Amino acid sequence: MAALVGEMSWFCCGSAWGPCGTAGGGACGTCKSGNYQHAWPNASDACFSITRPDTCGVSMSRRTCGFRHYTTNPCSGKRVGTTIADCGPQTDLWCGERTCCGASCGTNRIIDLTPAAYSAIASLSTGLRPCSVDTV
Amino acid sequence: MKQTLDRRRLLATAALGGLVGATGLGSLAPEAAFAAEAVTVEPGAPDPNFAEGRISKISGSMLLVTGSDAVLHSIRITDGTSIWKLHPTTFDQVAVGDGLYARGLRLPDGTLAADSVWVNIVNLHAHIASVGRNMLHLDHKGQRIVAHVVPGRSAAVYNGTPAISDMSLLRVGRHVQVLGAWHPDTNEISVATVYAAA
Repeated sequence: MAALVGEMSWFCCGSAWGPCGTAGGGACGTCKSGNYQHAWPNASDACFSITRPDTCGVSMSRRTCGFRHYTTNPCSGKRVGTTIADCGPQTDLWCGERTCCGASCGTNRIIDLTPAAYSAIASLSTGLRPCSVDTV
Repeated sequence: MKQTLDRRRLLATAALGGLVGATGLGSLAPEAAFAAEAVTVEPGAPDPNFAEGRISKISGSMLLVTGSDAVLHSIRITDGTSIWKLHPTTFDQVAVGDGLYARGLRLPDGTLAADSVWVNIVNLHAHIASVGRNMLHLDHKGQRIVAHVVPGRSAAVYNGTPAISDMSLLRVGRHVQVLGAWHPDTNEISVATVYAAA
């Protein structure tokens, strides 16, 4: 299966400080900022009805809590493996958004990583990066 | 990769007291200095080389941090640690009460020798409730956040276009992602970057 190319960002979950303090454990109830986890837009019917990646022309498979994805940051070449712990990002709010670093670009938001996972492959201060997502 | 690994060895050595002030690494931008080495962490598992929480004490170059899950962390700042607090900055700008995320190398004694520390960083998804002079009021998960625009620092990215300082295209009711720095114990942040959809 070909990797899905798009954009990635990060989000906090679980016990947290500041405005993140209300985040909670995510749709799966297991999400923690310090774990290698991620949010996926098609984690359930209810999730998909909110995120609607299809409205941006993005086809994303139904994958549920605990499913493993591997995300690569083309800007750094680094890769991280994570499991689904939440629903998101809300792809339909950002249809057509494009992010690049050099010649590497991604269009449409397809995954949000926890701070631990995102910071393993990019600086948190970048906020948004192109990515490719695979299952192996 | 060899250079990367060498750098981490230097950091670890520096954290142990051997090379502080003599690494020659200087202060690197977070973008260049984030976690440099692939760490074998099982998907879904906690990363031992990552920590989060609030600073309860600063002792020399050591940050004592109380994790949000009440776990205590000792985080060593070295000459090679990159520090972000709204922008790349220096250790003297870090204060007790600040929140942080840190990435580095966990040493045998449990100390985290930090490669990068992001102080008070937040990445919020919100709706714009109102727009004022150098200020945005945001609705974030049912809470009001006051986001201060910092002239010369804050930038806006409109649907993936290059970042600009002009915030005039932000509209009430629009969904935004705001990367910024929290003002501890308040509902206020300073804006680094606002991402707005078309």
